[in-house]
Amino acid sequence: MKQGFRQSMAWLHTWSGLVVGWVLFAVFVTGTATYYRTEITRWMQPELHREAAIGPEALARSADLAVAHLTAHAGEARSWFVGLPTPERPLVELFWRTRPGTPPGHVLLDPRTGAPAAMRETRGGDLLYRFHFELHLPPLWGRWIVGICAMVMLVALVSGIVTHRRIFSDFFTLRRDKAAQRGWLDAHNVSGVLALPFHLMITYTGVVTLAIMYMPWGVTAAYKGDQAAYFAETGQITQPRPAAGQPGTLAPVGPMVVRALATIPEPLERLVVANPRDANSTVVAVFEEPHGLSHEHPQVAFAGTSGEVVEVLSGGLRPAAKTFTTMVGLHEAHFAGPALRILFFLCGLMGCALVGSGLVLWTVARLPKAGAAAGLGWRLVHTLNLGTIAGLPAGIAAYLLANRLLPADLAGRSAREVQAFFAVWLLVAVAGAWPAPRRAWRGALAAVAGLFVAAALADLVLARGLWDDPAWFLGFDAALLAVAAGFALISHKVDRFRAPGRARRQAAVPAGTAEMERA
Amino acid sequence: MTLLVAGALGFLGLAALCLSLGRHHQALWPNPPTRRRAIGLRVAGWALIALSLGAALHIDGGVFGPVHWLGSLIGADLLLVVTLSYRPRALVWMAALAVAITLGAALA
Repeated sequence: MKQGFRQSMAWLHTWSGLVVGWVLFAVFVTGTATYYRTEITRWMQPELHREAAIGPEALARSADLAVAHLTAHAGEARSWFVGLPTPERPLVELFWRTRPGTPPGHVLLDPRTGAPAAMRETRGGDLLYRFHFELHLPPLWGRWIVGICAMVMLVALVSGIVTHRRIFSDFFTLRRDKAAQRGWLDAHNVSGVLALPFHLMITYTGVVTLAIMYMPWGVTAAYKGDQAAYFAETGQITQPRPAAGQPGTLAPVGPMVVRALATIPEPLERLVVANPRDANSTVVAVFEEPHGLSHEHPQVAFAGTSGEVVEVLSGGLRPAAKTFTTMVGLHEAHFAGPALRILFFLCGLMGCALVGSGLVLWTVARLPKAGAAAGLGWRLVHTLNLGTIAGLPAGIAAYLLANRLLPADLAGRSAREVQAFFAVWLLVAVAGAWPAPRRAWRGALAAVAGLFVAAALADLVLARGLWDDPAWFLGFDAALLAVAAGFALISHKVDRFRAPGRARRQAAVPAGTAEMERA
Repeated sequence: MTLLVAGALGFLGLAALCLSLGRHHQALWPNPPTRRRAIGLRVAGWALIALSLGAALHIDGGVFGPVHWLGSLIGADLLLVVTLSYRPRALVWMAALAVAITLGAALA
């Protein structure tokens, strides 16, 4: 190894970035979309009509209706989750878990009648949110893969900074008139350096979010592996109450809801009922986070059979736990108002651009010479690049389009939407493998643009009669069209771009660039 | 509000820093900057960026101030890079607009 430190860092940057790049791109895209998770869900359920306000009595009543439904349909479950209606989303959303390994039950209820809500079945923004950290795999597998990729991303970020010699002068430079490689390198540098604070923050806090899973040894040693005890002792959840093993009857939850609302001044988000048929059942009322960076949900726990308050949890975290919840809060950015959210979204897009341009740069820097056939490795990277960078957005557009095209009462509807997402993703990836690279890129990116336009048009034509707030839906459709315009523009640029002579370019690559790209 | 003020100050600061570099100076003026001028622009640039942090801390306090400051700085920088790349001459009136926003906020 005769290379210097910077060269070895450049090597590390190139290859660490390449091997995890495809997963990272998917994580960045779905994570960026997740900033608008509730908006995506709302768009995908146009039947929903928002309400001005929901009073404590109405909340208590819908909680009672929810428990009645769960008692009748999920009596055997270990735990119930009752999402309570909000003015933005006036629905009761129920989940229940019966035993580990079986998928949870789920239903949406009308908060007034307790009957299943007349609404198209969809996973909405939750599909992208889950994909962001589980990749639609079994949770444990997905979280480990995403976590390892995120750790490698940190390596790529730091080695990228070390490799970058002229950070200050490249900070403002985006040369569009030079060779393709130069332009891609500039795009990679600018998207990376401009939003560097964001990239470092989001990657680090992302790993921290699941740190207890990746590094469980501290909790294993101090709490004998009982994570719930750890979370309870640090004040992040209420003290777990083990089942007594004796049958018991759950007291009405309506009065508990009223009592909880009188205790904590934040909006009530959900109820969690543990061991609902046990003598030692517990009902926990979980509130929305108070305004602040930290991710802390105030909670009030009730003894299920008597309805007595057993614990109130509101603030008061010690420094270590506060550090953890603040990092989670920064990652999720629930505190961000509309303007700051747009900035977070733009930073997320720059993250997508950073990873995407890095992947493309690998192939551009290794273009086969004129007349020579591309090697197997180059073809493989090119195919995976196109399959990810164009395939995933195409899948998302198809997911939105399927939401409007599938009949509202189709059985297994939400699963079909997810199938459309993966089918179109796969289709673009496979179809893109055959044509010549430039044609493949142009065609695939144009197809993505077309699919986003189709989703917006399908909304206008098929769902207009359902909108409760036309301006809001038109705004969302305009955003879809803006995304489509972005992809159309890139497709057009790919088509129009004429590279300067290949031989001349290779001879003229400045020393600094060559160092970064050849490594 | 914070985003607008910190962003305007940050935009001015970043623009000054960027114009202190030969390539970008020549996008607006015929020659590279003289040494004195480059140093002046850099000092002004860093001072304006410090001022934008000060403004964000003053308006939003120590918790949200830094978050808003970084966010607005990244947004301002993105705007600056795109402007430089496509319409460098537009910098003149954008800088004037940024000054107007800052003055307006200071007087209000």
